[in-house]
Amino acid sequence: MNYIIAMLLITLGFYCLLIKRNLIKLIIGLSVMTDGIHLFLISMGYREGGIAPIAFGEWLKPPGFAARAVDPIPQALVLTSIVINICILALALSLTIFAYRHYGTTNLSKLKRLKE
Amino acid sequence: MAGMTLIVRTISRLLFPFMFLLGVYIVLHGHLTPGGGFPGGVIIAASIIMLILAYGIERAEAKMSFLNAEILDAIGGTAIVLLGLFGILLGFYFLQNAPAYPIGEAGPLFSAGNLPLLYIAVGIKVTAGIVLIFYAMSRFREKE
Amino acid sequence: MTHAPILAIVLMVFGAFLTPVVGISARKLGLKRAREYFVIALMLAELALVLSMFKQVWGGQVLTYKLGGWQPPWGIALAVDGLNMFVAMVVAGMGLLVAVYSYVYMERDTGLDQFYTLFFLTMGGMMGVTLTGDIFNLYVFFEIMCISSYALVAFRRKWDSIEAGLKYMIVSSFGTSFILLGIAFLYGQAGSLNIADLIQKLEGISSSNLIVPLSLFVAGFGIKIAMVPLHMWMPDAYQAAPSAMAALFSGATATVGIYAMIRVVYILFGAFAIGITFATLGLVTMVLGALMALAQRDLKRLLAYSGISQIGYILLGIGLGTVLGVQGGLFHLFNNAIYKTMLFMIAGAIVYRVGTSDMDQLGGLWKNMPVTGTLFAVGALAISGVPPFNGFASKWTIYVAGIEAGRPVFTIIALITSALTLAYFLKALNSIFLGQRPKHLSDVKETPLPMMFPIMLLAVLCVVFGVLPQLGIDLVRPAQEAVMNSSGYISAVLGGA
Repeated sequence: MNYIIAMLLITLGFYCLLIKRNLIKLIIGLSVMTDGIHLFLISMGYREGGIAPIAFGEWLKPPGFAARAVDPIPQALVLTSIVINICILALALSLTIFAYRHYGTTNLSKLKRLKE
Repeated sequence: MAGMTLIVRTISRLLFPFMFLLGVYIVLHGHLTPGGGFPGGVIIAASIIMLILAYGIERAEAKMSFLNAEILDAIGGTAIVLLGLFGILLGFYFLQNAPAYPIGEAGPLFSAGNLPLLYIAVGIKVTAGIVLIFYAMSRFREKE
Repeated sequence: MTHAPILAIVLMVFGAFLTPVVGISARKLGLKRAREYFVIALMLAELALVLSMFKQVWGGQVLTYKLGGWQPPWGIALAVDGLNMFVAMVVAGMGLLVAVYSYVYMERDTGLDQFYTLFFLTMGGMMGVTLTGDIFNLYVFFEIMCISSYALVAFRRKWDSIEAGLKYMIVSSFGTSFILLGIAFLYGQAGSLNIADLIQKLEGISSSNLIVPLSLFVAGFGIKIAMVPLHMWMPDAYQAAPSAMAALFSGATATVGIYAMIRVVYILFGAFAIGITFATLGLVTMVLGALMALAQRDLKRLLAYSGISQIGYILLGIGLGTVLGVQGGLFHLFNNAIYKTMLFMIAGAIVYRVGTSDMDQLGGLWKNMPVTGTLFAVGALAISGVPPFNGFASKWTIYVAGIEAGRPVFTIIALITSALTLAYFLKALNSIFLGQRPKHLSDVKETPLPMMFPIMLLAVLCVVFGVLPQLGIDLVRPAQEAVMNSSGYISAVLGGA
């Protein structure tokens, strides 16, 4: 079920990036697409009937903590990737503010002065 | 950027200590509970930005200027690198945890070697970074 | 020194954190150029660190370094074999030369603290991509490198830089999210993130499962290295970036992108079977780049399109899959870094002195800048593959490899493209340096010496590797062996203590 929603998010974000012209919508589309990828990654680490991979004293004791815990590696990957996307978002928004000041519009198809 | 109405200012002044404390809690308990440096730093930065939004950016710049935030940022980053290099100085690998730092057992607050220290440094850096981003974006208004 | 791999990366990141502090204290204390000296000193130390690993890796040994003492495949490991070493040397060398060049070139811009911070972050990202042995680590450093380069393209905050930076950012973020999705699929199939471990585990998985990750990786890295049809962002980005950074991007960043493509697609997937697709894509890239370059009026755009064309040569060489092909491709990678950086630096020198890079407004600069003109001629002849220069040696290797692999059509098309390259470079040389000099250019001075020094050094390297091509082939041979035979790599990373 999770995979379907993840693929839906990725497709929506992809569609938005390809079709929309407004810069803010493009940034939102990029963000939605990366969220879909993160959801996909996390749901790939799921294990049936697993517990959270926190090495708490009581959960550590029963044998097979490693066998029962949900995979923690995709969670670490997603954490790192979220931080990277914060940076991209901040940079993209700053550039959008500049572009708005220079061009007076946030429409991507108007930004064509360089093509000669 | 001017401040907001009296209601917003009062509530944000009341809420600020709790948000700050929550962020510090998440950073400090990074090795025990989910979270750690990044989300904790973002929450601390969000509490500071909430105050900035409520009171206006001129008062915030009087308290913590752009320069101070940059230096705090550099301190956080350098602390991460130095903590990692500490392992090399003792003869192990970079960011080595086990023999270089005291580990203790799983559970109490003072345990797990250099993880809490790293998370504190990451928390400082993330806080300073996000506040810097906010300062830089809001300066666009005054620049031209 | 056993800690050299991690210190090479950490030094760059440390420099990035300390540059604002150095800049602020330099302004407070009144030491005017302390920040630039700091930058150049750090880059020299970086080059020394990289070269210190040279001796060990040259003999065929693979240097590994376990981060935090955790054993791979559970921990992140840095692994330096012949291919890594080769690319790391190119990156460190180009970084040092660009740092020396920016000493003068960037002095008229403001906000230089941020510029050098971004420069160090880009260098740190590049060294990280080059030296790592873990695929997610490669993604993280690749993103660091990409994000810093977005900011550097948009550095001058004028309308063309912002537009180019925005388009570059959107296209390239799109590409790197493909890489992340590819890593997600790969992790789901194989369960490990270490490259050496993945090579072992992927041999047991049927190739129909691997089509999706493979195509995602090719698309993601292909956007970064401007493979046709994903090359749209490159001319705008290179035209709008400060020329020092355009030199760094075309020399070092493109090299790192191609290295990542080789490491992930070839070594990981063992995909010599798709080599012919690569060679065809390389051919298309090569021809398209050359054709578009013929029509350009602006020097930096012309250089960007010719860069795309050279990357096509490299992909052609590596896609052919034979020993000679891979050697030719890697040698051409090296040569491309040398003469592309040199040509962009010359374009930067012209912009610095004249103020424009539009070839219609230039002309007759030979009398004002004779040394620069000569060096431009050297670069033009080298990139077109004319005999005493290094371009000829690597292109000849690729031609022979094409015939040897049974595809003479590729060689013929490559030869025609070389002729086209010569044509548009001669046209550029003519319209900038020869011909009538407009009135307003009559008191243009020669390029300043700190900017001239890296250009002259690179020109000397062009001649050296052209006259002694065996030196280049010897340089490339450990890298080529690392590409084609990865068992030594696996045993060193996974079995090492």
